[in-house]
This record gives sequence, structure tokens and C-alpha cells, in this order.
Amino acid sequence: MRFLRLVLRSFLRSKRRTVLTVLSITVSVALVAILQSILATLNAFANNPDASNRIVVRHKVSITNLLPMRHADWLRQQPEVDSVMGLQWFQGVYIDRSNFFPNFASEAEYVTSIFKEEIVDYSDAQYREFLRDRNGALVGKALADKYGWKLGDVISLKSELFPITVRLTIRCIFRSKRPADELALHFNYKLLEEGVFYMKGRVGTFFVRVHRAEDVPKLIERIDRHFHDAVEPTHSETENAFQLEFLKMMGNYSAIIQMITGAVLVAILIVTANTMAMAIRERTTEISVLRAIGFRTSQILGLLMGEGILLSVLGGGAGLGIAWLLAGMVRSYVGTFLPYLQNFHIDPGTMSLCFHATLAVGALSTFIPAYRAARRPIVDGLRGL
Amino acid sequence: MSDGPIIRLRGIAKSYYRETLEIPVLQGIDLDIPAGGYYALMGPSGSGKTTLLNLIAGIDRPTGGELEVCGHVLNDLDDDELAAWRSAYVGFIFQNYNLVPVLTAFENVELPLLLTPLSRRERREKVEEALLHVGLTDRMENYPRQLSGGQEQRVAVARAIVSGPELLVADEPTGALDHQNAEEIMALMEGLNRDLGKTIVMVTHDPKAARHARHQIHLEKGVLDRTIEVNR
Repeated sequence: MRFLRLVLRSFLRSKRRTVLTVLSITVSVALVAILQSILATLNAFANNPDASNRIVVRHKVSITNLLPMRHADWLRQQPEVDSVMGLQWFQGVYIDRSNFFPNFASEAEYVTSIFKEEIVDYSDAQYREFLRDRNGALVGKALADKYGWKLGDVISLKSELFPITVRLTIRCIFRSKRPADELALHFNYKLLEEGVFYMKGRVGTFFVRVHRAEDVPKLIERIDRHFHDAVEPTHSETENAFQLEFLKMMGNYSAIIQMITGAVLVAILIVTANTMAMAIRERTTEISVLRAIGFRTSQILGLLMGEGILLSVLGGGAGLGIAWLLAGMVRSYVGTFLPYLQNFHIDPGTMSLCFHATLAVGALSTFIPAYRAARRPIVDGLRGL
Repeated sequence: MSDGPIIRLRGIAKSYYRETLEIPVLQGIDLDIPAGGYYALMGPSGSGKTTLLNLIAGIDRPTGGELEVCGHVLNDLDDDELAAWRSAYVGFIFQNYNLVPVLTAFENVELPLLLTPLSRRERREKVEEALLHVGLTDRMENYPRQLSGGQEQRVAVARAIVSGPELLVADEPTGALDHQNAEEIMALMEGLNRDLGKTIVMVTHDPKAARHARHQIHLEKGVLDRTIEVNR
């Protein structure tokens, strides 16, 4: 502790340079934290433990090809199966495209049995109203709050995929464990069948819930084998794999994020190394004087490393603080367009990763110039005047 | 004041190497300096006086010979032992003062004490005592840029004596000062030798400064030429 003052005074020797370097680290760390959190959030979305006993069945050719509703009859006969629901991504627009939220045409009577973990709290009376009303809508509490919807309100959704606008009455409002799951809307599939002629008896996907998660692999294999020679063959996968495929439509986001993270870290390393090299070089004589009066090589190394680490820790801490603030903004604004980011936050793992990466940058960038300065012959340093 | 040699050099040689070319700087130096002595090292540029001072101060190593200072054979010490030895036995005064610009006068003087186990209060007492000795107690919170050259050198002297070393080494201590300040620094060093019994070895070009020493050692082309006792 008795050397702390020396470290702090040296750290603030060139205030402008120190502030600029800290700022550059701050911005870089904030960027890394946001990017890594996006990656963690997307990965978590595709690794939902609640979805472990759900299978998504779609057309073998692509998600845009339709399956006949009659496939559900065979699926429901399988002993492992708990529940089966036809579900169609509707892509309905509420007033304006910016009001994005996931909305689905679903077989209403199966919604709560398929999404047991997502639709956890609702009134039975409201749910019966939803089933009774062909134009009824089941919405999450967060979504209802967002638009100020109350039971009985009528809303319109204009589909961007189908030539139809549905008028829906809010009949049931549910609560979930995850905020993102409260942003969904389900309405009765029959509305879509009646409004779009080619959707009669057809659907984009089946969500299949099995009794035991360990039965999922063999059931997936059996479903696809059974429909292999059908006119509409199937491609079955876990719900998480299905979500991951959606994410992959954005490209290999993981590799892109890791590459950007790596580039940013190298940039911080270079900036910090340059700052520390300059700071140490201009103190060559001073360091030799300290050694002449008795400071050991290890003590000099410790003082200089302390400065470098202080520089990076301050920048890293500020960067994480800014990232934390930005996370709220990402949730509020970007999450509206990208439902994957509605749970966006800087998790402790990312905090720890950024903190340790910053520490490593501080130590790495300082060690070489500090070691060279601490090992330089004293007389050479004094002659450096 | 003891009469035994505090500095004992036998056959000291020092060479520098420029690639494979050996450049001898000092050759066969035998020298005894008694405790409490005040010696001025003199000679033309390139005669090896600063190199000899650096060897005595333990900040450079000889390429030959034996070097015993303050009861320790410096040849036997590794880098860390040598640092600890310097901290305990040697005070440095440089031509350009070499104060740390981001520390106050007080903090600069305190630097050598940070290497000791002294408490904060004990350190403060010693620093104030050293600054009192050089007449700068009223400037202890000033930074070097707020001091004149003479005052900076006084702070450097206080830093050199604060930990109570037996030996003071000074490399052109008046080289950057005007006549009046140079005289004041010389008077201060004379007092340290006379009143506190510090052994002083000083490199200087300036005959006036050298007259403050008790002995003058003249070097010529890396060889000890003569030692003269100064009559005052």
C-alpha cells in the first residue's frame, strides 16, 4: 500500500493521455460486453431447457412448404406423445410495422398444454372465453401492458405472409416465467383456414410435446421415417434446434461476433501497449534513479504493472457500466424488432469474461516495456538524460 | 569518525564492448578511502571518473578486480542484494537533481524510506528532519517545477541523506547551478561531511567545487594519476 501513491501519481502524470486511453478501453470493453451478451442471449434462446421435451415438425423441403393437418392424427397416436398442436407463424402487423411481436395462428385447444412452461398463470374462465370465441386472442401480460390492451378490446392484425387481416378480441391474458414469453399472441387457427383458401387443412409446423425428454430422439427418427414416402415428407427436430435454424438465417453470427470481439481486444492491446510504452520510455531516467536508490527490479516491475492494470481496470469497469446501461436500451428498443433480444442483459459470465480480458490486456500490454525498463542497466538509464 | 577504509578497491578494471571491440575505461585501480573522507574525483572527459563513481556506488559492475564498500564485497552480491545494499549504505546526488516530477518535495525525500519498515509517522519525522537540514521545511509541499534549481538540488541532498547512509556519491552536483547556488550546495555537502561524518565521493570538473573536498583524486585515461590533499 505504501507504493500506491507512487502508482497513482504516475498514472495521472499525463492526464490527457490517461483519460484518452481509459476512454478508448471503455468504449472497446462496452462493445465487447454488448457483443458477447448478444451471443449469450441468442445461445440461451436456442438452449431453452423448458423446450427439452418439445419437437417441431415441418416440411422436409423448407419451412415455407406446408404440411397437411392430417399428419397430426398419426402424431397423436404415438405412445410417447402428450400433445400435438398445429402452429402457423402469422407475421401480423399491429397498426405499424414497428409494433413487432410474435403472433401465431394456433390450434387453440392445445396452446396451454403445449406451452405449459411458458403459459403458466391464467384464468380458466378467460381461457374458456378464448376457446369459445372464434376471434378470440390469447396474449401475454407484457404485450397487453405494452399496448394498453384490456379484456374485450378488439385489435386488427394485418398479415405480411397471407392476404388477410384478422380482427381479434382479447379474451385471455397470461403470465410467464420469462418476459420474452409474455410478448406472444395466439389466435384460433380456424380464422386462418377460413380466410386463406390454400391454408385449408394445412399448416406450417406441428409442435409435439412428449411425456419424457429422453424419448425425443427416437420419436424424431420415427416421425421422419414414417412420413418419408408421404407426398409431404417431414423434417423433425427439437424446438431448440428449430430456433437455432432461425438464428442461423442471420448468418454465422457466433463467428462474426467472436471475430469482432477478437479484433477489438487486439485494438485495446495495441492502444494500451502504446500508451504504456510511451509512459515508461519517457521515464527511463526516473526509473534508473529509483533503482539507484535501492528499488529492486521486481518492485519497479510491480509499480509499472500496477499502472497498466489500473489503466485497464478503470477503462474496463467504466465500459461494463456503460454496457449495463446500454443493455436496458437494447431490451427496450432493439428487443421490439428482434424478439430474441427481449431478454437481453449483461450476465455475470460476460462481466467476468470482460473483466478478466481487460486485466489480461493491462498486464500483457505493460509487461514487455516494464520488464525492459526494470532490467535496463542503471547507468544506461542515467546516461539517457 | 573511523580511520579504516570504507572504500577499498583492488585492481579494478572496467571495459565496455562495442560489438566485439573491447574499450577499456578503467585499468588496475587500487584505492582506499577512509570513513569520513571527502574525495573529489577529477580528470578530463573520458578519463573514467563517472565510471569509477558508478562502481563505488554499486550501480555498475567491474570487469576485473575486487570492490569492497561499507564492509561488503560488491562483486559477490546479486542484483537484488546490491539494491538492498545501496538502499542501506549509499545516498545519490545527481547533476540534474533527478527528482520525480509528480511527487512533492516531501514525497521525493520520502522515497528511500518506502523501502524500509518504518511507519508513516517515523517516515514523516525523518523526512522533516532531512528537509530541515537543507533548509527547505517551508517548501515540502511544493512540486519540483515550483522550486528553483538550487532548491531542487537541496531536495535531492535531503533525499540522499534521509535514510542515514554512510556514503554519499555525487556526480557533478553543481554542474547545473549558478555560482551562488553551487557555493551553497558545496557548503551543505561540506557540512554533511564535517558535522554528520558522511563519507563523500564527488565527481566534478569544477576546481572551485573540488576545493571543498579534503582530497582530490586525478584520473588520466582510466588510470589513477595522483591523489592530492587539499589545503584549506
